[in-house]
Amino acid sequence: MPEIFIDGQAIQAEPDQTVLQAALANGIFIPYFCWHPHLSVHGNCRICVVEVEAKGGSWLDISCNMPVTEGMHVLTDSEEVRAQRKAILQFVTLNHPVDCGICDKAGECTLQDYHFAYNGSPSISRDAKVHATKFFDLSKRIVLDNERCILCSRCVRFTREISKSHALGIENRADHSLVRPAEDRRFDDDPYSDNVIDICPVGALLSKQFLYKARVWYLEPTPSVCPGCERGCAVQIWHRRPEWRLNALDPRQNAEIARVTPLENPAVNGPWICNKGRDLARIFERARAEQPMLKGKPVELAAAIDAARRLIDEARHAVALVSNWGSNEELAAFKQALAGRFAASFVKRDRQPEPGERIEDDFLIRADKNPNTAGARALFDDAPAALPDGADLVLVWGEGCDFGRLPRGAKTVFLGSYLAPENGHADVFIPVSIQTERRGSYTNFAGTVSPFEPCFAKKPSVADAETLFAALAQRERATA
Amino acid sequence: MTAKPFKRKAYWNEAELSWWERAYLFEILRGLGITGGVFMRNMWRWMTGRKGALTTYYPEETRPDYGRHNRGKHVLTQRPDGRAQCIACNMCATVCPAKVIEIDAAFDPDDPAHPKYPSRFEIDYSRCVFCGLCVEACPEDAIRMVKEVPDFPGADRHRMWLGKEELLGWKPQSDVAKPYPAKAGGAAKRGPA
Repeated sequence: MPEIFIDGQAIQAEPDQTVLQAALANGIFIPYFCWHPHLSVHGNCRICVVEVEAKGGSWLDISCNMPVTEGMHVLTDSEEVRAQRKAILQFVTLNHPVDCGICDKAGECTLQDYHFAYNGSPSISRDAKVHATKFFDLSKRIVLDNERCILCSRCVRFTREISKSHALGIENRADHSLVRPAEDRRFDDDPYSDNVIDICPVGALLSKQFLYKARVWYLEPTPSVCPGCERGCAVQIWHRRPEWRLNALDPRQNAEIARVTPLENPAVNGPWICNKGRDLARIFERARAEQPMLKGKPVELAAAIDAARRLIDEARHAVALVSNWGSNEELAAFKQALAGRFAASFVKRDRQPEPGERIEDDFLIRADKNPNTAGARALFDDAPAALPDGADLVLVWGEGCDFGRLPRGAKTVFLGSYLAPENGHADVFIPVSIQTERRGSYTNFAGTVSPFEPCFAKKPSVADAETLFAALAQRERATA
Repeated sequence: MTAKPFKRKAYWNEAELSWWERAYLFEILRGLGITGGVFMRNMWRWMTGRKGALTTYYPEETRPDYGRHNRGKHVLTQRPDGRAQCIACNMCATVCPAKVIEIDAAFDPDDPAHPKYPSRFEIDYSRCVFCGLCVEACPEDAIRMVKEVPDFPGADRHRMWLGKEELLGWKPQSDVAKPYPAKAGGAAKRGPA
């Protein structure tokens, strides 16, 4: 364990650490653009410069590429370092358009923060800025603004080291350098491409879905879990802050998913997620079913619960198909309150892979496209190919059930969240809340439990499955 | 002679009344005389076709003597082709202490110099405090305040919004601070001639 001194403070560093890693691990901040904890060291931005003190004098060097050595003395905030950082920021912004006013990154931009903290003066260059391509389509999802790009090459290294698509490179030289897709590869084929938007330290790589949708300080993140596959990556769902609620514009903007970003979780996904996780709005913002129904006839929620309770009471051989999109808490509530009333309860696979979707790879994406299969299987058996004949009541919880294959003559109680033709055919249909409206946790395929928080309010006519099961389990009361 | 003992007032401007004032009736009648006199004078002026009190009969009448820097209502300045100067950066909406400005931004691929523009720009005048911080925050001189007040008295406070079309109604013939130079070529692309 070499001991090094950063700003006079003695630090026990790991032998294979660099000065930057040792400093960050001990709470000393050194700025960096091109360095990224999960990517290789490139050392092109020079902003992490520090002063190394030695007997024969001192010199400036970049800390991201400097291994620690025993007894080394480093200064991170000396006069020379500050002057050097200022000069580097002048250089980095030499051709930067400084169009923060219309840049989606503004507010969470590293360059903005560093410029404010370490430079603070306008450009001293007398030369005109070099203009480059604006809004170059890097893929169907990502647009590149070459004027804002500071050529840190994080995106290029991401495609080479993490997603392994090798789809990006830098062409031309000096201030004509451009990030471009490789000639023989399409960035569209990279299922992890959107991560480059997050790791871009400036606003050069922008999401087309999110382009000009909202300034980031109007949004807040809610920690959640991606339900796209059984990996269960930790994500942040960004939505409008309540204090910035819109009154005149489309009120739907107040309760919609603005964007989804990864939430770093070393046990599950690291700092990455796949593109499907970015498109959670496509899953959650489908047309919702909000009306309880008896055979297609709209009724009050309490009446629908009463009817379902009566059906469960009267059934002699009831079967339940349990959703593997239910949280651990809901599944436990079902097991505790209702499972005893059913002859058999099976786990149903709610969603199958969509056409064209990447099925499985060796990085994050898993073949089972449901979030809580492991949690559900711990409590219930897998569904057989055909339900046993003789069942006179089937409780279906969640989507993905073929009603045509249920036993003939059996009554159906359906708990669903989205508009579907089956809703009106079920004897009792009760709308239930979705993941963004409730608290809970999922267990992923490796047994890691990840919690999620609610970010939107549910409609009063929609039930929470966890409390609904307790209500369904109550035997005949005065209401009967 | 003994000095009168100091008496603390019950409140800071408690009146010290003489016996005549304490008698009440005479002073009340004098006050009624003053009020009635002013009323009669104004009434006489009104009946003879002149203006009585200083009251401005809003909204039929607005005062001509607003100060030059009166912050009356907002206008959105325009580019030579009639589009809004606004780049939808939301600085005004962010700085607004009453949070009354709401902007929907849109992407214009045809104009790489101004790719972001406001598709909607709404100001709620029922909550606006007319502080002018939006004008100060604007990096593009896109929003200004003129001395005239917004002209919508109404019974419904939820309908006191002005949209982009109304705010863009300001068309100065000449403006020293903003000379509206006609751009070569590109000006005829869109908007009114």
